[in-house]
Amino acid sequence: MSLRFFSEKRNYFLILFCCVAGVSRAQDIDLDKMLEEEQKKETQDKIHYTIATFKTTRLINGQSIENTAPGILDLKIQHRFGQLNAGLYELFGLDNASMRWGFDYGISPRLTVGFGRSTYQKQYDGFFKYKILRQSTGKTNMPVSMSLVGSAMVQTLKWTDPARENYFSSRLYYAYQLLVARKFSENTSLQLMPTVVHHNLVPLASDPNDIIAIGVGGRQKITKRVSVNFEYYYQLPQFKLSNTTNSLSFGFDIETGGHVFQLHVTNSPGMTERTFISENFGRWDKGDILFGFNISRVFSFKKRRK
Amino acid sequence: MRFILLIVVMILLQGYSIRQTIYTTNTGTIHFSSEAPMELINATSKELKGAIDADKKTFAFRVRINSFEGFNSPLQKEHFNENYMETEKLPEALFSGKIIEDVNLSVNGSYSIRAKGVLIIHGVSQERIIKSEVEVKNGTMKVKSKFTVLLSDHNIPIPRVVKEKLANEIKVEIKAELLQK
Repeated sequence: MSLRFFSEKRNYFLILFCCVAGVSRAQDIDLDKMLEEEQKKETQDKIHYTIATFKTTRLINGQSIENTAPGILDLKIQHRFGQLNAGLYELFGLDNASMRWGFDYGISPRLTVGFGRSTYQKQYDGFFKYKILRQSTGKTNMPVSMSLVGSAMVQTLKWTDPARENYFSSRLYYAYQLLVARKFSENTSLQLMPTVVHHNLVPLASDPNDIIAIGVGGRQKITKRVSVNFEYYYQLPQFKLSNTTNSLSFGFDIETGGHVFQLHVTNSPGMTERTFISENFGRWDKGDILFGFNISRVFSFKKRRK
Repeated sequence: MRFILLIVVMILLQGYSIRQTIYTTNTGTIHFSSEAPMELINATSKELKGAIDADKKTFAFRVRINSFEGFNSPLQKEHFNENYMETEKLPEALFSGKIIEDVNLSVNGSYSIRAKGVLIIHGVSQERIIKSEVEVKNGTMKVKSKFTVLLSDHNIPIPRVVKEKLANEIKVEIKAELLQK
């Protein structure tokens, strides 16, 4: 078949034409394509860490997977008004307020430390947050980020019964959290927080000293600068203090040119792990809802690069 | 017989097509600055990729947006990528086209040229003519250029709260040394 095909002159020219056309097209080395291939290769050889899983270092009450950048000091002011069901007399809680102020500092890209003071029970707290795994694509494909958080809290109220022999250790509380987060897409991130809160002293003999809770939180961006967040801590029934409730919060993160402003409603007046996870008594169904906000101001201690 | 002839012709043509002088780089520098009344922002990437075909006088450049470093804070870099450039969706900026002047870039010397092409930033294409200085010297080609990019040209809105901190006119400076491939 092929012999007859090529013996026809017209076909011969047609094929020659096609070949030449093909060759001349190949001659145009597409510079754009060339660079694109190069870029692709390079991208595969590098590790690309996922950034901005959450907008800030706090989800609402609790820690998020985000760290404070190294050399950055972050002044945080967290504020919770009173309960909504206090009625008009208290202007729906706005007359009362509980607050925590504190500083977070980034020591390295993976390690953040911080301390704070809360008005609630005149409490001091300190914490560290260490990033163990970073979500990444490219050369290393890591599906999640993971951080370890350890914190200690000490309340400094006057002893209720000074006549009794009191120990400083009874003022201490500790919390340990593992944060596992994944940014599923540009807009959606989820985080799981298994938590242990240790109380040196608990109200009842039948109460456990170690409270175990599983937290879940997430964010959904609704515009480029605003996201909706939620945070829920479920305490395991056999490892919780009596009469406490689970903390549930909803909030907005609003980015205002360099800063993030967080507004939320929650059933927890506390802002440290011990107070909002293990010692929370607010009930959404009873209207024990508090309005609150977090604001932060960052100070850079790193020399600016020119 | 004719079939063999055809193959020979093809091979000859193919051989011809390889004769192309292409200069490339992976480590060009691209710097931009925003000079607003309240804030000065600088950032640089050293990962500018470029290719210039000296015979055909065509060129292509591209840079990954998240390779820019500098800024006034890490948060600013994050916002640059997240909110302004939307880097995850639109990871690169590109410029490719043809040199207008009829210069012979295979001869050593300095040339002032105009590069005409399509500039793609933030996914928005703009037809641009950009003046550049090109210096050819024994297999290397140094390219220098300064130009401006208007954020409004590329559909990058400036929120009202940062109006005093972010300029619409961004100054861009490029320096690259391309080597013959």
